Amino acid sequence: MDSVPTLRPTISDVEPTALDYDVQLESLGQWQIAWKRFKRHRMALIGSAMFLGMVVVGILGPLFFQYDYYNIPVPDVHVNAGRPPSLAHLFGETGRLQWDVLTLVINGIRYSLLIGVIASAMGAIIGTIVGGVAGYFGGWTDTILMRIVDALLALPLLFVILVFTKFLGDGNWVSVTLIFGLFGWLGIARLVRAVMLSLREADYVDAARAAGVRDRRIIFRHLIPNALSPIIVATTLGVAGVIIGEAFISFLGFGVGQDTPTLGNILAGSLGFISQGNWWWAFFPGMAIVVIVLGINFMGDGLRDALDPRAKI
Amino acid sequence: MTETLVASGRRAGVGDVLLDVKDLRTHFHVMDGVVKAVDGVSFSIRRGGRLALVGESGCGKSVTALSIMRLIDVPPGEFAGGEVLFDGVDLLTVDDRHIRKIRGGEIAMIFQEPMTSLNPVMSVGDQIVEAVLLHQKVGKKGAEEIALSALKDVGVADPKRRLKQYPHELSGGMRQRIMIAMALSCNPKLLIADEPTTALDVTIQRQILELIKAVQEKTGTALLLITHDLGVVAETVDDVAVMYAGRVVETGTVDEVLLHPRMPYTRGLLESIPSQGKRGQRLSAITGTVPNPFRLPPGCKFEPRCPYAWETCVESEPDLIELKRDRTARCWLNDPRFRDRLAAYGASRPEGHA
Repeated sequence: MDSVPTLRPTISDVEPTALDYDVQLESLGQWQIAWKRFKRHRMALIGSAMFLGMVVVGILGPLFFQYDYYNIPVPDVHVNAGRPPSLAHLFGETGRLQWDVLTLVINGIRYSLLIGVIASAMGAIIGTIVGGVAGYFGGWTDTILMRIVDALLALPLLFVILVFTKFLGDGNWVSVTLIFGLFGWLGIARLVRAVMLSLREADYVDAARAAGVRDRRIIFRHLIPNALSPIIVATTLGVAGVIIGEAFISFLGFGVGQDTPTLGNILAGSLGFISQGNWWWAFFPGMAIVVIVLGINFMGDGLRDALDPRAKI
Repeated sequence: MTETLVASGRRAGVGDVLLDVKDLRTHFHVMDGVVKAVDGVSFSIRRGGRLALVGESGCGKSVTALSIMRLIDVPPGEFAGGEVLFDGVDLLTVDDRHIRKIRGGEIAMIFQEPMTSLNPVMSVGDQIVEAVLLHQKVGKKGAEEIALSALKDVGVADPKRRLKQYPHELSGGMRQRIMIAMALSCNPKLLIADEPTTALDVTIQRQILELIKAVQEKTGTALLLITHDLGVVAETVDDVAVMYAGRVVETGTVDEVLLHPRMPYTRGLLESIPSQGKRGQRLSAITGTVPNPFRLPPGCKFEPRCPYAWETCVESEPDLIELKRDRTARCWLNDPRFRDRLAAYGASRPEGHA
């Protein structure tokens, strides 16, 4: 096919459409192929629906159910253990101050997702840069960067984060996010480094170097795009990890303060009231966590399969 | 010891010396010691000239090419000596900025594996445009124009559509055409083709060779062809440098080297090519194997496999002996003291050879 003589007069006269009548082959980029595979993955679609549903709730919900820590609506009747779900309060009311649990959960979803997504994105960016540089250059650069990663991984991260959140920002959700982001890049850095170690031996890297392309551009334009699939999968699953981590430390009372609801600190508040029969205060935020995390995990599995270059369409 | 071999073509359009490799030594420091992959390689190419570097796997051909472009990682590699003079400038000592200008701009390279030499996640057009933008003062639009005309020059049908395609949508021959287009898009003075047809099937091989030759003649760029295929050499270049164990062992014009080899290794290579004339006969092969790079013989590196070797070959390694202008061989047979042996070597030439 290579040297079939063509009858085109000059190139400028010929629009692609004029020639394309005989070639109906669809030209699919890697993302189109991945999307095609993803669509066939039923659990992935269910997972995406769960996750995206929660994202919609987190974005739109607070418009209808505003949460204002300093303006507590006064209940008509005061019941210290809270009141079970009713038509007025679909998810019931909390104990003590009698917050509407639905309002709390909706706003909790918003902040938990924000923290999860921003912290994972931060971790992905830092990890990709560190891992990319370490894997591409190798040698001393690699040794130094990876020993730093090893040293940080040797720390019991959860306790480090507990300490940091306690002393920095004092329960501000932004600082909690930053702390998770700043400690969340280690796994991605190792992953990206491992991928880069094999990718940098590829012939097209030599070809790019022989064409005079700079190292920085080879890393970020040629290699990282080739390493994007595992990064995307790891980052997606990382969102679930951060949400659980945040819930955990907030539950222990070290995370985000009470003025900003997260799924974790809502659960923390319910602690003393479950024994008084108030199950709804813990149940609904707990379910929200389950739905988000399960959704993300299903979605991540689907992405892993869809982005696997070895899999057939 | 520095020999400068002017391997000049005598075709029209061949000018003064463009690339002069002098006594190049590229060593690799590995766990078990030092591998002297290239140990004293000298050759030169004139403007518009065509030279083939020939030898079997592991003889240092590719390392020589990568050394010219300074694409050897240091460490583990080391440029232990010699010069690579390109337009009078030693590429082994210039700064990084300068060498990046040279790479792709002045010297372009085509690799052996077209299937893996293009980035799978970048469109063909983006990859050519990237190279053009690096070396020419044009904008994105201008670079796309250049990419388009480069594809037309290498005979790609429907180049506009090809620019938008990804490497996996193209055949091997098509990808090699793209690589050639990319290499030539910046009008380099020298094109290094490292086994450009080895990974292609035979019919495509011929097309690609013809193409390289045609664009080489049209653009007047010099060609350094690296190959193990003497058939390719005969058809494509003017001059040959034969390599063995990191050294150049014979140089000269294609006719002289292929018809009258003055080094037993070259003769061995020629005799191991199957041909019509040798039908029904047992094909001869060079006995033995390539020497272990950690334990090279002290004398001539080919001596253990050489059917003509004698004590002198075991004891000391010959220099490249100049036979006449632009014609050398690294073999004691060419020393005037051993004239009688050369006569016997000449007489032992098999019938109907070459």
